[in-house]
Amino acid sequence: MHESRRRVLETIEHRQPDRVPIDFGSTGVTGVHVSCVAALRNHYGLDPRPVKVHEPYQMLGLIDEDLKQAMGIDVDGVFPRKTMFGFPAENWKPWTLNGLDVLVPEKFNTTVDANGDTLIYPEGDLSAGPSGRMPKGFHFFDTIVRQKHFDEEHLDPADNLEEFAPLTDDDLAAIVADVREAAGKGRAVIANFGGTAFGDIALVPGPFLKDPRGIRDITEWYVSTTSRRDYIHQIFSRQCEIALANLARIHERIGNTVDAVFICGTDFGTQTSSFCSVPAFRELWMPYYAQVCGWIHRHTTWKCFKHSCGSVARFYPSLIEAGFDLINPVQCSATGMEPEGLKTKYGDRLVFWGGGVDTQKTLPFGTPSEVREQVLRRCEVFAPGGGFVFNSIHNIQAGTPVANIAAMLDAVQKFNGRA
Amino acid sequence: MVDLAELHQAILNGDAKRAVAVTELALAEHADPAELVTNYMIPAMDEVGRRFECEDYFVPELLLSARAMKGSLALLRPLLAARGTEPVGRVVIGTVKGDLHDIGKNLVASMLEGGGFEVIDLGADVSPQKFIEAVQSSGANLVCLSALLTVTMGSMKTTIEALKEAGMRDRVRVLVGGAPVTQQYADEIGADGYGINASVAVALARQMAKVA
Repeated sequence: MHESRRRVLETIEHRQPDRVPIDFGSTGVTGVHVSCVAALRNHYGLDPRPVKVHEPYQMLGLIDEDLKQAMGIDVDGVFPRKTMFGFPAENWKPWTLNGLDVLVPEKFNTTVDANGDTLIYPEGDLSAGPSGRMPKGFHFFDTIVRQKHFDEEHLDPADNLEEFAPLTDDDLAAIVADVREAAGKGRAVIANFGGTAFGDIALVPGPFLKDPRGIRDITEWYVSTTSRRDYIHQIFSRQCEIALANLARIHERIGNTVDAVFICGTDFGTQTSSFCSVPAFRELWMPYYAQVCGWIHRHTTWKCFKHSCGSVARFYPSLIEAGFDLINPVQCSATGMEPEGLKTKYGDRLVFWGGGVDTQKTLPFGTPSEVREQVLRRCEVFAPGGGFVFNSIHNIQAGTPVANIAAMLDAVQKFNGRA
Repeated sequence: MVDLAELHQAILNGDAKRAVAVTELALAEHADPAELVTNYMIPAMDEVGRRFECEDYFVPELLLSARAMKGSLALLRPLLAARGTEPVGRVVIGTVKGDLHDIGKNLVASMLEGGGFEVIDLGADVSPQKFIEAVQSSGANLVCLSALLTVTMGSMKTTIEALKEAGMRDRVRVLVGGAPVTQQYADEIGADGYGINASVAVALARQMAKVA
């Protein structure tokens, strides 16, 4: 077995690996903004070719093999066939982001409005209304909410289920091909097959849909989790049935080739509190998480990955009970998320996939010395006994100095005894 | 005769239909609109804020209560205006340039309205110039700036500087908030206050309104 994959498998089994494994770029929440990928290529003296934007919503850059090696990355990712705007990340074409030459997928079709903002279209269809907006001079897209009027008495859960469907044969073939390619590289593989995110607020507005129906407004969705709970249960219940059938078909084809599965990115935490109570979480979300994780653990060796920003330690016991193994991004700056306490209390049951450095303050605004200090300290806390994959707390954002990113990686290498 | 405690309870329960119905009944019985606001609605939203602070209520409950309050307020506002009733203060609020996230800003705006303020909500991705124009046209004495992103926090500083350059900084108090924002950052950019959450923001706004 390749040493990278072995290292990750050891740490996710809570055994001490030879080094702290590193992930950057394997998921949509452990990635690097395309401008920073370009800067890293330059920093490491790699071929200065335009970087591919493989995740157009957050404008995440594809980390090519040469940069993965330079960064010491131990994980590869498998992404859903279609991006957040409903088109596949393939057939690349040139585009310019604030003066930086990048490559974008063929159907990354945009227009510029009167304010100079860039608009992007679902499935690249310029005749559909735009579903994303990037303010002029800024760095990534946000969803344009396209909430239609709905009749309270005739809300139909099917309207909120358009994006959840049985895999087509083409979808399945693409997943199998991507998994085989990723597994052939020798690193650990985490796959995002899609369809298992219950109420992820980034997905609710349906930026990938041309004509989203049902409840698509962000505020309306949050309100519905309290005032229309039966409706949300009906959506989640049907979504779960579809997801379990898809997982069975995928597993039949790929077996245990992947090591972990990205289940859900629904955020339950805010900076100082949470979006709902623990009882509400257990009543509305947990039954479906338990079904998905339960199926995975009964039929596969895959580990279950959960992302939730913010102050979420209060949910950790429930997430563990539901069957999650890997937790991300471990936002240590949020209330109640101090690294020492999390490691002591949950370190034997949860793998901390993140928490390596703060991306709200230290990494973008600190000095390289401050970055190094924090990274070393986090490694000292999270690494003992395994159960830690180094990653920054969420994606590395545009504008982060490359010297700080390099200092972060150098510090991990130093901790690993390689620098 | 309508039991006005039901208005308080409807807002607390986030029951917009009931809040509107009770308000309509009260007005039909010639209740004093200012009394409805001062004695029932503001205390209800204060209680919502208190429950939010102590984590009995979360974002959905807060949004529902705000809707109930707004439904009632929509009936009362024209009557209050006709009588020349002054709000606690006038607030211009918006998410700063480059940032399209507005949930936090909307929560603060709703809680401010529930607290008796007149709120001029400029939405998201608001340029410094738009803030200046809104302060000029509304006579607001408070400006609330929201940002969710590290890459847009700088727009808060730009907006405060633009208010200075326009000669308006002494006329308004500036309150900032949002996930990456801290008291230290608020101090660095010369804001007058930092609201760690919606409830704290309203408390600060009230303090500032008294001294503005």
